[in-house]
Amino acid sequence: MNTLIEARQLSKRYGSQVALDKVDFSVHAGRIVGLIGPNGAGKTSALRAVLGLTTYDGELAVLGREPFANRAELMLDASFIADVAVLPGWLKVDQAVDFTAAIHPRFRRERARELLAKARIAGNRRIRELSKGMKTQVHLALTMAIDARLLLLDEPTLGLDMLARRAFYDALVEDYMDETRTILITTHQVEEVENLLTDVLFIDRGRIVLDSTIEGLGARFSALEIPEQRLEAARALRPFHERRTLGKTVMYFENAPAAALAALGEARTPSVSDLFVAKLSGGVS
Amino acid sequence: MNRFIWLVRRELWENRAIWTIPAFTAAALILATLFGRVQIEELTSVEQMRAASALVLIGFGAVFFGIMSVYSTWYLIDCLYTERKDRSILFWKSLPIADSASVLAKLCTALVAIPLVYLAATDAATLVIAFIVSVRARATLGGALFQPGLWLQLQALWMYGIAAAALWYLPLAGWLLVVSAWARRAATLWAVMPPLAVVLLEKAFLGSHAVADLLGDRIAGFYGVAFHANRGASGMVRLGDGADSIVAPASLWQLPDPGGFLSRPATWTGVLVGAALVYAAVQLRWRRVES
Repeated sequence: MNTLIEARQLSKRYGSQVALDKVDFSVHAGRIVGLIGPNGAGKTSALRAVLGLTTYDGELAVLGREPFANRAELMLDASFIADVAVLPGWLKVDQAVDFTAAIHPRFRRERARELLAKARIAGNRRIRELSKGMKTQVHLALTMAIDARLLLLDEPTLGLDMLARRAFYDALVEDYMDETRTILITTHQVEEVENLLTDVLFIDRGRIVLDSTIEGLGARFSALEIPEQRLEAARALRPFHERRTLGKTVMYFENAPAAALAALGEARTPSVSDLFVAKLSGGVS
Repeated sequence: MNRFIWLVRRELWENRAIWTIPAFTAAALILATLFGRVQIEELTSVEQMRAASALVLIGFGAVFFGIMSVYSTWYLIDCLYTERKDRSILFWKSLPIADSASVLAKLCTALVAIPLVYLAATDAATLVIAFIVSVRARATLGGALFQPGLWLQLQALWMYGIAAAALWYLPLAGWLLVVSAWARRAATLWAVMPPLAVVLLEKAFLGSHAVADLLGDRIAGFYGVAFHANRGASGMVRLGDGADSIVAPASLWQLPDPGGFLSRPATWTGVLVGAALVYAAVQLRWRRVES
C-alpha cells in the first residue's frame, strides 16, 4: 500500500510540556483518516509537524519528504485548511483566486470559480464581509481546486453553526472525495465526521490510544447492554468501559471471545463516537 | 520571478495605505499651490531660474519621501507581525511559497516598490503643481518648472536616491523585519527599546556615545553620504541677496556622489549587517508559528 504519511516516535514538547509522546502512525493513499482527541490532546501538534510548520523529534515522512525543511515543496502536493479564521480579512475573493492561481501550479481557476458560484459567493466581496460559514466555503473552494494528493484539515468547522458545518462536509464529500484522494482530518467533534472516515486514530494526552480501520472496529470492539443479574459475569470478561444511563448498563469490550459475549446478550459494534467516549473516559462513567 | 512579482502585488493589495497616503499628500500639496500664497524673489538670470525650479521640485519630492520614510518604517514593523496576529500566516504557509521568498518580497516592497509608488506620486503631483505655478506666477517663474532637461535630471536623481537608500537603510529594514517576525506583542516598542537600552547603558557605564552616533549617522546621515554636501562650492547659484539668500546647484548632476557612497566602508558593513538580519528574519518566520 502506498504510504503518504509515516510517523515513527514522533514527539513534540513545548518547554516542559509534552504535546506528543513518541507517537507512531501512518496514513495510506485513498484513506480518510480522522485524528480524533479532546482539546489539548496533541492533534494540532501532530498536524503542524506533518505540515512542516514546526520542528519535532523522531522520524516523519510526508509524501516521501521531511516536512519541516521542505514545506514549500510539500505544499505543491498537499493542501491544508486550518480552522476558519485564517483567510485574511482584507483579501477579496477574486484576489484570493488570482493569487493562488499565480502561485500554485496545480490550481485550477475554473474549478474554483465553479465552486464559488455554487456557494453563491461574489468575487468582489472581501473576506471580512463574509459570514464564518462563507469564509469556510471560500477556503474550501480554493483548496478543492488544487489537485493535491493529500488534504489536511485541522478542526475545519470550529466555530461554525450546524448548517455551515453540514454545508462544509457536504461540499467535501460531493465535490472532492474520490478514491484518489487522501484526507487527514483532526477534530474533537466525532459525530460530524464518523460517517466519512475509513480510519480512526484516537489521541489522548500525546499518545495514540486507538489506531484502526472502520471495518476493523467490528471485529475488535463490542458494546452490550447487560441485564442487572449478569453484571458480575460480564465484568469477569474485563470490559474497558462501563456506562450506566437510565437504569441500563452498557459495557464495552475489546477482543472479547464472541461466544462468551453471546451468552450475555446481543453484541453490537459501537459507533465511533461511543467508542471515543468509552476509550477516553476509561473505567466507569 | 513572475511569482515574486505576485508576492509584492499581494503586499500592495493588503496595504492600501501604500497608495492612499501619497495620493492624499499629492492632493494636499496641489490644493496648497492652488490657494496658498506664492512668493517668488525676482529672478534675473536663466541659471537662477533653473536653480530655483530645481529647488522647488526637490522640495516637493522631499515632502513625499519624508512621509514615506515614516510609513515604510511602520510597514516593516507590521508586515510579519500582523500575519501572525490574525493567523493568516497559516493560509500563506499552506501555499508553496518558501519563507525566504515571503520575507524578501516584503523587504522589496519596502525598499523598492513603495519608493517607486511615491516617485510616481511625486511626479504626478509636481506636474500639476508646475502647471498651477506657471499660471499663478506667470510673471516671475512662468514655465520654468516645465523644463524637460530638468525633469529628466530629477528622475535620475530620485532613482539614484532610491537605490542608494535601499543599500544604506538595509540594516534598519532588516532589524525591523526581525522584530516583526519575533515580537509576540508591542512590536513597535520592541523595535525601539533594545537599541535605546544599549545607548543608555553605554552612556551610564562607559560615559561614551558610540552606539548613539552610529545609529544617528545611519538614520539621519543618508543625505551626507549619498550626495555631495559641499554647498557654496563652484557650480552653485545664489538666489536672493543678503541674509535671506540661499544657494542652489546649477545642475542636478552635481548632487549625487555614487563614487563616494559606494567606496565608503560604512555602506558595505551596513549591507552585510542588513543581510544577516534579513536572514535571521527568514529563520524566524520559518520556525515561529504559535497556535
